[in-house]
Amino acid sequence: MSVVSNILPYAVAVWLFGAGLYGIATSRNLIHLVGCLGVCQSATYVLLLGLGYRWGSIAPIFYDHPPGTPAVDPVMQALVLTDIVVGATLTALLLVLTIQVYKRSGSLDPEKLRPMRARQGSDRAEGSDRGHDGKRTVL
Amino acid sequence: MTLGPSALLPLPVAIPLVFCAVMLATAHLLPGRLPDILATLAALSVAILSGMIAVHAADGPLVYWFGGWEPRDGVHLGIGFGVDAASGWIAAFIGVLYVLTFIFAWGFFDRTHGHFHILMLLFLAAMIGFCFTRDMFNLFVWFEVMSVAAFALTAYHLEKSALSGAINFTVINSLAGFLMLGGIGLIYAQTGSLDFEGIASAVGRGGRDPVVAGAFCLVATALMIKGAIVPFQFWLADAHAVAPSPVSVIFSGAMVSLGLFGLAKVSAVVFAGSDQVQHALPTLLEGLGSITAILGGWMALLQRHMKRMLAFSTISHAGIMLTALGALSPAGTGGMLVYVVGHGLVKGALFMIAGILLATRASIDEIALRGLGRGIGPAGFAMALAGLLLCGLPIGVLDQGTRLVQGALWHQERWIALAAGAIGAGLTGAAVLRATGRIFLGLGPDPGDEGGAPSEDEREKANRPLWVMLGPCCVLLAFDVGLPASLIANATPEAASAFMHQPSVSAKAEGPAWLTWISVALALAGAGYGLFRTRLPKLVIRPLRATQSVPTRALELLHSGLIGDYAAWLAIGVALIASILAVS
Repeated sequence: MSVVSNILPYAVAVWLFGAGLYGIATSRNLIHLVGCLGVCQSATYVLLLGLGYRWGSIAPIFYDHPPGTPAVDPVMQALVLTDIVVGATLTALLLVLTIQVYKRSGSLDPEKLRPMRARQGSDRAEGSDRGHDGKRTVL
Repeated sequence: MTLGPSALLPLPVAIPLVFCAVMLATAHLLPGRLPDILATLAALSVAILSGMIAVHAADGPLVYWFGGWEPRDGVHLGIGFGVDAASGWIAAFIGVLYVLTFIFAWGFFDRTHGHFHILMLLFLAAMIGFCFTRDMFNLFVWFEVMSVAAFALTAYHLEKSALSGAINFTVINSLAGFLMLGGIGLIYAQTGSLDFEGIASAVGRGGRDPVVAGAFCLVATALMIKGAIVPFQFWLADAHAVAPSPVSVIFSGAMVSLGLFGLAKVSAVVFAGSDQVQHALPTLLEGLGSITAILGGWMALLQRHMKRMLAFSTISHAGIMLTALGALSPAGTGGMLVYVVGHGLVKGALFMIAGILLATRASIDEIALRGLGRGIGPAGFAMALAGLLLCGLPIGVLDQGTRLVQGALWHQERWIALAAGAIGAGLTGAAVLRATGRIFLGLGPDPGDEGGAPSEDEREKANRPLWVMLGPCCVLLAFDVGLPASLIANATPEAASAFMHQPSVSAKAEGPAWLTWISVALALAGAGYGLFRTRLPKLVIRPLRATQSVPTRALELLHSGLIGDYAAWLAIGVALIASILAVS
């Protein structure tokens, strides 16, 4: 097959992962963030299926084909299935955490939900000006 | 199939899983403390079985093929467990750590229906599976099971901070899982095997191959994220600081070092035949490890929240372990394996002391706790001892590991890694000793830069007898100090060679003795400066404070708690590792 169809699955996988990562890096809503994580994960689906695919061969079911017919790699498909299970678990767990976060703080913005912040106006004068580090760290 | 010692291999994974399932099915029926007892028994049996496996594996690695799917004609279709002595002992150590953690957590949770124990046993099974497996994809599965159990345990308290910490932890470690799976897919596509040996022989035949290097880049990044190596370390401080203290014991004592254990196995066994990877490894591991060791130590010194401080100290020690791997010799890897055990024992004890303070003094803030530790003197002694051991007091397992690591680095003349390790250990020791002095002796009325560090009050269940909590902590320290040095010294070279699949070499090198004393001196000086700042002449203090404040603020800004920043750092880290691999 042509170069394009050889490269395309990998390019799509890289692009999906990059797009998902960009989404996570800039997300201001936890549910959106969970979705972006799903996009990152679909990059792995595309990559694995692309790696296991053989042009012009059948699905690895030999019910109505003689054994020995060229087939796509069933191991990769098993990996993708496991990956989907992992993805479902992670998404469920993250959404549960998101619901609990919303119940406790009434917000879904990661900027307002930092795990542990400096005390405002703490024991030392130096400590107080660390309280307003609300602006994003520039990278 | 004959029933030899190999038949034992699935048991340490199966037993906790069976206990999990039974306890989950009967959760609402189990009375009172029965889950505690069952969980402790399960962990104990894992520890004993793993110890037996390790003893048997001393003569040669044990292999177990599930369902009898043994490889034929070099084709590996089945999934196998392969255990060498080192993996067995690490598993036994993890079992012991769990037993003591379960005792420490006795009665920690009211009305949990045993859910805490179920998650912990799942976590245990995953860790043992991670140690034992010889299949890449199986490694990924245990990696994910370990992660999912850890995510749920972090958020166990369902408080605001715990939840945000758990979300950061989950997102970053899920990305690690995706990267690892991508790497496994690439290596499978290139070699047609998922078995460690199968991949290793195919990689050895293949020569220079960008796909193999790419696969290694992805898998190594995933394991380094687990191992909290700069620039992937951000999740650790968030997660360890908010997790319940028994969970933090396991996180710091076993989970983080297991990431590096996995990296050691993968780089020494699976990618041993790739010259490109082996050329890149020393630079990569030494560089990242040195930065991690110093950054973690520096950050630890700037904390006031004790669990967060210990979390940064774990980052620093993970960096030291990584530099040991960078030596790429059985001596360095053997030292790293001993270091993992010693560090786990000491750090576990320290997190237990943090738990004791939370339970009996209802705070975890070093400055708020000043002088409040006077009623629980034994805990103070334990903490001071643990602090000294952490920075390199020359007794015990941790010190033996440190000296082996330093010996390996010394002989390869890796001065930067040596210096970074000594400084990192000294800084973390200083942080622990300063906290000890402040909490148990009431010293240090004027907080320095640590006064502005993030902190939060939390509480843990109070009405547990002190000895239930202090007992396991002292047993951990006793293990570290009391394990006979000759035993470890005799077993390590053989075990390390078997672990790396290399011919055994008897050369056992140790670093110079004065190097550990430098760390101890640095720790004492750092702690002394923190506690007696007000009594020092102004001439000394001013320049010191000036150097402290600016980098401090920059570092604290970097640890922003924002998941977006962490994801960006992750991308930078992957690019960095990829570029180092590309130019080598």
